[in-house]
Amino acid sequence: MSSGRQQVIGNTNPSNSLNHLNITNIAAEPGARRDRMLRWLSPLEPEERHQSVRTDRLDGVGNWVLKTREFKKWRDAEDGCVSPVLYCYGNPGVGKTYTR
Amino acid sequence: MIDSLSDHARRKTTPVAGLYCDFLPQQEQSTVSMLGAILRQLVSRGEIPEHIWGNLERAKEPFGIRSPLLPDMVENLNKTIASLQRAYVCIDAVDELAPKHRRDLLGSLQAIVRASPKMRILITGRPRIDDEILEFFIKAVWIPISPSQDDIKSYLEMRLKGDTTPKAMDGQLRADITRVIPEKASEM
Repeated sequence: MSSGRQQVIGNTNPSNSLNHLNITNIAAEPGARRDRMLRWLSPLEPEERHQSVRTDRLDGVGNWVLKTREFKKWRDAEDGCVSPVLYCYGNPGVGKTYTR
Repeated sequence: MIDSLSDHARRKTTPVAGLYCDFLPQQEQSTVSMLGAILRQLVSRGEIPEHIWGNLERAKEPFGIRSPLLPDMVENLNKTIASLQRAYVCIDAVDELAPKHRRDLLGSLQAIVRASPKMRILITGRPRIDDEILEFFIKAVWIPISPSQDDIKSYLEMRLKGDTTPKAMDGQLRADITRVIPEKASEM
């Protein structure tokens, strides 16, 4: 994967938390300080999974969802005019994950 | 959905965060880690807000840095969202979380959207969690997902193209497959 995010997070070991970091390192140059902060926030890397979903996705599948009135309203309506939560439900394998 | 939201949001510099709940080992399903991954995606494109730096400062201990705490994480998210025009968060396969972790996550998200309607959350899951969604987000908008005939057709075409013994099938059978299966599937 080639995105900048990955290089930022580039931590392949999920258990590698920042707990053992030397505090003085935090005051290192701004880029490293920022990277450590981003890693401190969470050991999870959903960005990686997203890359594999993106690779395996079949173009166009599920695009009808993005054209529904409900989806567009949830995306675009002013605050307070729409429920902030949209729930897309369906059985396994119907394409919930792979809609672009 | 993350990518189309990102395309849409790029024009407005609205951040989009995603979280995949399948294949997450139980020990990684802590709400604070999941919210942390969302927060990271919301802030990683620009300057990291001061309040998060302050949070890290307070996490410093004599022999290292402790992990973030849940109330701090919720507060960080609230403050971050307050500074944005809008934020989109997509949470995929929430039904795959262990029940306790799922309830904790939904509870925190409920608190966050109550604090600000600027955060728009898209949740996908199997119908078995319908009741839970209703419990936490009574006003949520529901969209039933099932593949359209076109979706099934494109999928079949892709699979037929990858057929390793294409000669075993004549043109008629091929045509029947791409016609009949989408029809039958949409009757289900």
